[in-house]
Amino acid sequence: MIKAIFYKEWIKTRWYLLLAFVVSMGFAIYAMLRISRVCSLKGVDHLWVVMMQRDAIFVELLQYVPMILGLILAIVQFAPEMHHRSFKLTLHLPIRATKALASMLSFGMMVLLLTFLPALLLMWGYLQTILAPELYWHILLSVLPWYLAGVAAYLLACWVALEPTWGRRVSNLVIGILLLRMYFLAPAPEAYNEFLPLLVIVTLSYSLLSVLSLTRFRDGRQD
Amino acid sequence: MFKISKILFSLIVMFLLVWQLPACYNFFMSTPVDTPFTLYSSIARDFASLQTDENKKMHYRDASGNEYTEEQFDSILPAFYYRQLVTDGRFPDTICGISVTPRQIQLANFTMRLSPLDLNKPKLGLWQMLETMSGRVDLELPDDAFRITSDGIEFVKMETNTVDVDKSQRFTKAMKQKGFEFPALSLSGNPTDRKEYDEGYAMLDAVKKLYHVKQTVGRPYVKAISLPEGLVPQHLFITEFPSRKWLCFLTDVEGYLWVVERESYAVKPTEIPSFNPSEESALIIGNMFDWTVKVNRAERECYYAISAKDYSLIDSLSYETPVHRMLGLTFTTSKDKFVKPRFK
Repeated sequence: MIKAIFYKEWIKTRWYLLLAFVVSMGFAIYAMLRISRVCSLKGVDHLWVVMMQRDAIFVELLQYVPMILGLILAIVQFAPEMHHRSFKLTLHLPIRATKALASMLSFGMMVLLLTFLPALLLMWGYLQTILAPELYWHILLSVLPWYLAGVAAYLLACWVALEPTWGRRVSNLVIGILLLRMYFLAPAPEAYNEFLPLLVIVTLSYSLLSVLSLTRFRDGRQD
Repeated sequence: MFKISKILFSLIVMFLLVWQLPACYNFFMSTPVDTPFTLYSSIARDFASLQTDENKKMHYRDASGNEYTEEQFDSILPAFYYRQLVTDGRFPDTICGISVTPRQIQLANFTMRLSPLDLNKPKLGLWQMLETMSGRVDLELPDDAFRITSDGIEFVKMETNTVDVDKSQRFTKAMKQKGFEFPALSLSGNPTDRKEYDEGYAMLDAVKKLYHVKQTVGRPYVKAISLPEGLVPQHLFITEFPSRKWLCFLTDVEGYLWVVERESYAVKPTEIPSFNPSEESALIIGNMFDWTVKVNRAERECYYAISAKDYSLIDSLSYETPVHRMLGLTFTTSKDKFVKPRFK
């Protein structure tokens, strides 16, 4: 049954996933090309010096990309079903509703990671050819909270999308926006290092919020 | 599952209230505390300050309450306003009984900011060591960077991203010969070519012994600096002031400020009361007669005047800077560059 749910989710999201993959990789490739251009114009030395002296990480354009991709994935995955109220068909499957929901969210998180991971690997692969470990980890550790924000945005948007009433949807949205702010408070690269393990746990816990929306949906709450 | 979700939701709402409500209150209700710009005057033998009133009129006065005109104020702070005095043709021949020229004043003047933000931030672990005697007037950035490991110092050629084994071994050997125990606990340098001269790095080794390490004609220069008994350094601040009088300032584990003289490597205490550089910022404005040291303590801005000759305390002054803040959860502070939850 879980396989069938995964297949259903795949059918719903495959074109968006292709787009998300292209966008995620596209931005990562563009960021690396910009670094490569700096190296060819001013030399690798310049890149090192700017990173050491000015705390630059050269990949700032990636900041909101994962969050937007996660947000749109949740909308693509759940908004049409909620709009046509066909989500209740999923709940009639011979499987516990929470298990069905968990499968759907797991699918989303899995494909989101499969979208983000190649971009991170690409950056890691390229940067280690020109930078010392201290410098490329400086960049990768600085972008990790942004990719985590992508997962958080997905889970919070699922919670909002699954909510059956507009009033509650708006309040959930406000809470979601405030929670997402937490991922973009960095005053400097690597600022989240200490907080990152806790932030991962907090982010994953957002998956439980969708159970609230699911319960309200099953209870027949509507505007 | 529903119960756990409900509890999580309640926790999130509580967390947001504890985070956002105090943040909003502090944002709208906080008022800036206006303290006067203050410097010690060796002429008036008192702190002199200037402050703008509500009508944007400047008031020049000393701590005893004496009022000054703008020109008089320039004259009681000749080291700070020497350019104005020279322009007006009012620069004196002698100050405090010492014959001086504007050039001497200019060379002796310095400003040093010790900010917790510079200490409490993610460390990259790579630095650059400039050539101190390149034979050229202008300094040049090197083509390598160095890291300090538990085994030694490692220079990495930036162009090829490879370790310069020969240079690394030469420097490691020189440092070990002088008793340096790796890794370094702390190091302070100013690796930029936008300065007059380079003094390399002041370093604390693994057993908190102080060293001066620099590159001279491609060779390592390593000097072990003997510390007065009982002094355990904690934070180092390389100076590289135009006067070339000091190598660095340091604070010890108790928060007292010491100076390390450049020529003699003598480590001398200052009589500035202890402060915590990780929490309290300090600003030192010095000249050839006195230093004014401003320490931003909790709800107080403290000024200390010390003698530039023997670093003894001459006078002190403080302004109340009450802070009306609502306690709450916050992720960032003005004292570090980390994002993490804290209640303050």
